[in-house]
Amino acid sequence: MITILSDHTRQEVGERLDKKLRERKIATEFISLTDMNVGPCYSCGGCTDKTYGQCIHRDDGDIILPKLMRTDVLVMVTPVKWGSYSFKTKRVFDKCAVIGDRHYYYKNGELVKGKIGRVHTFVAIGVKDQWQNDEKSAFENLVAENIKIMNIKGRVHLVDASNISVFLDSAVEDLNQ
Amino acid sequence: MKKVVIINLSPRKKGTSMMLANRCREFLSVRDYQVEILHLYPNLKNLSPLLAAINEVQSIIMVGPCYINTYPADTVYLLEELEKNRDVLHGQDLYGIIQGGMPYVHTHESGLKMLELFAGENDLSFKGGFVIGMGAMLNGQPLDKLLNGKKAERGFQYFLENVAKQENSSSELYHQAQLKMPGMVYYLMAKMMNRKIDKERRGKGIGDQVKSPYDNTGINY
Repeated sequence: MITILSDHTRQEVGERLDKKLRERKIATEFISLTDMNVGPCYSCGGCTDKTYGQCIHRDDGDIILPKLMRTDVLVMVTPVKWGSYSFKTKRVFDKCAVIGDRHYYYKNGELVKGKIGRVHTFVAIGVKDQWQNDEKSAFENLVAENIKIMNIKGRVHLVDASNISVFLDSAVEDLNQ
Repeated sequence: MKKVVIINLSPRKKGTSMMLANRCREFLSVRDYQVEILHLYPNLKNLSPLLAAINEVQSIIMVGPCYINTYPADTVYLLEELEKNRDVLHGQDLYGIIQGGMPYVHTHESGLKMLELFAGENDLSFKGGFVIGMGAMLNGQPLDKLLNGKKAERGFQYFLENVAKQENSSSELYHQAQLKMPGMVYYLMAKMMNRKIDKERRGKGIGDQVKSPYDNTGINY
């Protein structure tokens, strides 16, 4: 299963990618963050204590997190601000720790954490009207660190108006494998 | 007297970010600075007190935890709101401090890069930052309790001197302060921490094969 989590603010790449995958009969779950209300992680420790493995606060994370638990490939489509995920996307990402493997692993000489649910591949798609080089490298570095710490496979794509059509075709081929 | 505002980007009011915020306050308040610490989370519904304070100061220090390789989501919200209220930004110096659980600088450094790019677009002068690993383990205790306590303390002291003089602070400071251990030590640390996690789980009556409350697929968490 491929799950696409998309913050539609200023972009429609997620929807278009989902449509193309469905046309190819590839199973997807599409989550739009537009009407979702996910609160902050308050670092209260409830998920490792009173409600072990579950956030103590009730919000739309209760809808999103079970879907993420079922997926093999997680695709996050986000507008990029200052080389980082959008606010709405990051709110979800911050809460993913609750469904992550709490154990530590040793890889390439360093400590890493375990993966989220059974996700084996993480694909981050950053969208901007126009990319500057330093923001490109900032977002690429951030996603590379995400992939490293989750100890999974993954890649990053940088999309803007000039490459969207080519990107969608290649992403469909990539995700179909 | 110069003014500095320290923004606590952590949802916690007692913890490593606040310990570091207090260190900044102690250092700067005896060096002719008027220092105020403001918390982001209690002000999320109305950021006016933060915006007003930022408007008044020469330097801003943002200090917070690292959630999955950068500051928490609500830091992005704060920056977006600052961008909407750009009249409060008029060339102030911006410094960042980020602390996270992993001992490596590279794990957390993206947070500082976000502040740098934000500053560049919004009439602030980003003058560097400091990265501290193993912050979660520290849990609000003084820096010298870290395994690399002496190095971290020395580097952080230099960083504070840069802030006091409104100088650029080099990333070399926190790179040099980073804990450097042979791989085998990290391997053993993983074993040790996992034993602790498993013991904790058993103590709570949670066995190794329990499903996540979010899971209906049979995967263990």
